[in-house]
Amino acid sequence: MNTEMETSTGTVSGESTLVGRGLRKSYGDFEAVKGVDFQVSGGECFGFLGPNGAGKTTTMKMIYGAVIQTGGELEVAGLDVRDHEREIKRRIGVVPQEDNLDEELRVRENLLIYGRYYDLPRKVILRRADELLDFMQLSEKVDARVEQLSGGMKRRLLIARALINDPELVVLDEPTTGLDPQARHLVWDRLRALTAEGKTLVLTTHYMEEAARLCDRLVIMEGGLIIAGGTPKELVEEHVSPQVLEVRASPEDLEVLLPIVEDASDAVERTGEEAVLAYTADADALAERIRGSGVKLENTVYRQAGLEDVFLRLTGRSLIE
Amino acid sequence: MSTIRIPSPRGAFRVWQRNVTIFRKYWMSSLFPNFIEPLLYLAALGLGLGAFIQQGGIDGQSYVQYIAPGLLASNAMFAASFESTFNTFVKLRFDRIYDAIITTPVNAEDVIAGEYLWAGTRSALYGTGFLAMLVVLGVAFGETLITSPWAFLIPPMLLVIGIMFSVMGTLFTSLIEHIDLFAYYFTLVVTPLFLFSGIFFPVENFPAPVPQVAWFTPLYHAVNVCRELATGPSLGVLVDVVWILVFTGALALIPVQIMRRRLIG
Repeated sequence: MNTEMETSTGTVSGESTLVGRGLRKSYGDFEAVKGVDFQVSGGECFGFLGPNGAGKTTTMKMIYGAVIQTGGELEVAGLDVRDHEREIKRRIGVVPQEDNLDEELRVRENLLIYGRYYDLPRKVILRRADELLDFMQLSEKVDARVEQLSGGMKRRLLIARALINDPELVVLDEPTTGLDPQARHLVWDRLRALTAEGKTLVLTTHYMEEAARLCDRLVIMEGGLIIAGGTPKELVEEHVSPQVLEVRASPEDLEVLLPIVEDASDAVERTGEEAVLAYTADADALAERIRGSGVKLENTVYRQAGLEDVFLRLTGRSLIE
Repeated sequence: MSTIRIPSPRGAFRVWQRNVTIFRKYWMSSLFPNFIEPLLYLAALGLGLGAFIQQGGIDGQSYVQYIAPGLLASNAMFAASFESTFNTFVKLRFDRIYDAIITTPVNAEDVIAGEYLWAGTRSALYGTGFLAMLVVLGVAFGETLITSPWAFLIPPMLLVIGIMFSVMGTLFTSLIEHIDLFAYYFTLVVTPLFLFSGIFFPVENFPAPVPQVAWFTPLYHAVNVCRELATGPSLGVLVDVVWILVFTGALALIPVQIMRRRLIG
């Protein structure tokens, strides 16, 4: 691994900003993270995709020191997290899963007080607070009480707070969970702006759309293990055929249809009593065979395969349950 | 693996500073009850009950003169105890303020030390206000309640006393999982200390082992210190001061370690 470090807060593209090797965490008999390896380069947006309980949050917390690893190696900016707690926390930003804004303080004050924890000069804090509130589109809310903010605004304020120390690496644990589509798109837009500035982002999500839109590379976690990794495109290409036909029919009809579908497609996932997903490179040909069978279909949906399908193929389960 | 964590003064100062910022917004509303309570005791017990025990008073003092300095100490105990129990628990469990702070260069151990300092500061602030009121009341009623210039040392002493009770309160907070359990702390620890630490009557007159037991409790020494500074201290007060420092120093790092383990998985 290249351990040569950058001298300023700027991140040199291509260097490993975050490295995990055989990283483990157990609580008594329960192993939350069972030995994971990952390597994140400077300037990259790296995702941990997986269902709840996969070990994503535990992995994030180990990065920012809120959970101490049981085994393995974890380095941030070339520094071992066990020996450089304060130094690492000084250089990263953290957006936790749950809102823990200081409710007794107003919007701008949250940033001012937070900036003091980094021992930043008052002038710098004031300037950055205004810039960040502007960047996160909260300028109209500077003096609002935190409790008056919508869920989307609170998330944006949490992200602004995580940026007050101008971190080289930002860790975001489910940055858009619980937000409505509009609020989610605004957060995505801002996160893309951050990567454009050269910041390294590490995020967890159980939305495949989020991972596909934001992440340069990602790993899929399940049961404390990484079960696949790569760019979103690579993952889809490697694990599923490019097109998906969702076939819905009565259970009896489906029994008749199943051999035909299995014969004409690369893979089939039964997702319920009355539905199957068929993966194929040639959806038209498959549709033709199904029509030829004469079975009456209730509903067929044709779409491009995505990360959800990768997860389903790998685990036999859907991401959000 | 489990090394003892020593707080950094800088981190502790930042946490103290956060509390000061918030206190400056709400001090008026939070000051009032803390101010009124000791005055109620002073009026009800000092003047009301005191009227029946006038002859000779206690140690040559009238009853109201006797209890006034002790109330300074108990007021510091109450202020620091509320701060380190309910307030700390809410910040720990409900508002998750500490979770947010420890993602910054301020560590969990700094947070707890900052809270000690803050509880002490709050005790000293309220105590100074109450002390000023005692001086004014003494003049107004022609019965001096604070008779010695050594009383200028009471505010810094209240800071130390506040820190001592914050350490005790935080120790209890660090061990419990449910906010209702604070009722036990106040009923079984704070209230007995308030009643049997020599504020309202000299414990020394009780048969053994009451005075001996009292000697091992913190408020007893805090009351002694405040009373001596209010009336002109003897050298014996140094024993009380040393007792407070040793007790506080011996306990201070224990809640820090337990709280760190609660905040970091």
